[in-house]
Amino acid sequence: MIIENVLTAVSELATFKTLFLMTIGAMAGLLAGAIPGFTIAMAIVLTLPFTFGMEPSQGVATMIGVYVGGLSGGLMSGILIGIPGTPSSVATTFDGFPMARNGDPGFALGLGVWSSFFGGIIATILLVAIAPQLAKVGLEFQPWDYFALIFFALTVTASLAGDNMIKGLISGALGLIIACVGEDDINGVQRFAFGNDFLGEGFAFLPVLIGLFAFSQLMSDVRDTASARKSLTDMGDVRVRIEHRRAITTIFSDWINLVRSSLIGVFTGVLPAAGSAISNILAYDQAKKASPTPEKFGTGHPGGIIAPEAANNATAGGALITMMALGIPGDIVTAVMLGALLIHDVIPSPAFISEQPTIAYAIFIAFFFANFLVLILQTGALRGFVMVTRVRMYVLASIILVYCGIGVFSLNNITNDMWTLAIFGVIGYVMRTLKFPLAPMILGVVLGPIAERWLSRSLALSTDVTEFVTHPWSLFFLIASLFSMGFSFYQKDRGKKVWALWYAPLLMLALTVPLFMMGGMVRPVLAGLMIVWAAWMLIKLPGNARSIRAA
Amino acid sequence: MTTASRDTVVSIVLLLFCGFLIWAGYQIRDPQFGELPPAAWPKGVTWVLTGFCVVYFVQSIIADRARTPDDTAPVVDRAPGLIGWFRYYFNPIICLSLYFAFLATLPYFGTLIGGTLLVFALLSFLGGVTPRLLVIHALIAVISVGAMWALFTFGLRVLLPRGEIFPGI
Repeated sequence: MIIENVLTAVSELATFKTLFLMTIGAMAGLLAGAIPGFTIAMAIVLTLPFTFGMEPSQGVATMIGVYVGGLSGGLMSGILIGIPGTPSSVATTFDGFPMARNGDPGFALGLGVWSSFFGGIIATILLVAIAPQLAKVGLEFQPWDYFALIFFALTVTASLAGDNMIKGLISGALGLIIACVGEDDINGVQRFAFGNDFLGEGFAFLPVLIGLFAFSQLMSDVRDTASARKSLTDMGDVRVRIEHRRAITTIFSDWINLVRSSLIGVFTGVLPAAGSAISNILAYDQAKKASPTPEKFGTGHPGGIIAPEAANNATAGGALITMMALGIPGDIVTAVMLGALLIHDVIPSPAFISEQPTIAYAIFIAFFFANFLVLILQTGALRGFVMVTRVRMYVLASIILVYCGIGVFSLNNITNDMWTLAIFGVIGYVMRTLKFPLAPMILGVVLGPIAERWLSRSLALSTDVTEFVTHPWSLFFLIASLFSMGFSFYQKDRGKKVWALWYAPLLMLALTVPLFMMGGMVRPVLAGLMIVWAAWMLIKLPGNARSIRAA
Repeated sequence: MTTASRDTVVSIVLLLFCGFLIWAGYQIRDPQFGELPPAAWPKGVTWVLTGFCVVYFVQSIIADRARTPDDTAPVVDRAPGLIGWFRYYFNPIICLSLYFAFLATLPYFGTLIGGTLLVFALLSFLGGVTPRLLVIHALIAVISVGAMWALFTFGLRVLLPRGEIFPGI
């Protein structure tokens, strides 16, 4: 069955047209990733209009090409000019740029390129192994559990806003409100329309997304005339040869770092909304802590390039696991893919892999293949990146602004979508200026209607709200939501304040309750192990508390 | 006396918006069927949003009170007052105005002409105006929008909006 699905998916993808589209997508992703100020999310939303006319598997394969390309492209500018092309390559600059300045740019690029590749391959293996299993777990979910899962996704998103947690929460709630405008899916009643036809039609998801992300980003890029008129980089004529063999040998000798960073990447990607911008820094931090020479990090240490690059590419695999297995976007990019699949009437859910095996396996294969494609393109097109980074920002911004409008129009062939784009461009720009994170709002827009639908189904089955705490998975996600709301405080106070010592053991103990409720063999055993671990942490707590107080 | 910070002002605006949403929530028609009335979800979200905005407001007030007169304001590289604000955000304001003008004139100019004019106007506004630059900007505008228009019209078979002035394109 699996072989049959794989072969069908391969036959779908192994056409000249699909391969050509994937190559173009990967190239576009690499270029967008290499341009400081552009994000992968922006690249992928700009690709969307082209995918409307394609077969679902073709469209998704193209977007995966952009996604993997964008994740890999950021390392070029990060290593060569010290400005990360995307937030996912921030940590790469810590050691990549010093190494390049120390006269070893070819080795630095080699490490980045091959770490990205290996990170992507490890993530593919995990994606293929975990997604179907997680989907089987997802099949146990009932409406209450789904609603709680989406609630969890929203709280995680907001809690990752860091110091601006309240702004993250407000942003997420505003996203939910935006999704309410227009005709209600369940009863067909107009909400927040005030008799206005434009509002009555509601806001299409993609114009909102492109407006919030791409349009507002362009406005930010041209705010300062002087920087808008500058070339993106002053790299001059770069003649660098990527040192492949040396890089591969070094990566293999530091394989623990590679595997650990890839696992961090996948795990971060699985969490809703925790994308590669976080995973690359987490992986760098862990690599530094585990290194016998942490003092050399920041001066051009190979481990400082391997860790973030492996992690950021692996994050894509993690995000795809959540999207394919549960129908919940792991990050902004998978939120866009989810939107694109919905346009093709493909609805990701736990039944997705079994009901749409061709598309599901096409995603697996496309992700696997995209890593090879990007490796080849990256190796051969270094001078192309240099040329692109010489373009002045205002030229790119002006052209893309018009492209956004035309692309959005092609979605439904109505000019209202172009107005929606502009309105949400303004809203996005204002939010950026006021330092409100945009990711929670986007996820609010995506997840709001889904959450409402599941809530409605739950209440249709039973009006008893205690069902939300008597269903084990629902209780599991509600407990996780509660703790995720305190996560940013925990992160801030960890190792500094005594209360933070209670966070992890209490979380584990609380989660054992739903695990025991689930029954069977594996989960109660897992709960038992968690109790032992939590007890161990509680035993060590007084000693740790004393050392914190002493410090 | 401490002045209200930007966060305080924003939180007040958000609270007013929440008030409006609460009122609007009660205007939603109830068809009297189904377990979850159409107004329930928006109302619930509105109340949650209001709660967050109250927390944001209180946090901002506390931060304002904690600020001593010696505290330096965050460094912003713009002149104070409305004119300073306008100058600081001049480029985005003009770009957005041009974009809205493009949308408003779309029924007359159509995508090809309107888009070309918009790109040319944006390039010239942002990049500066010299005879040489004007020629370069015109070329970039014609080639880029022309390519986009051709790609969508002939490649993707999208019927882009046409204008009354030049109905053929």
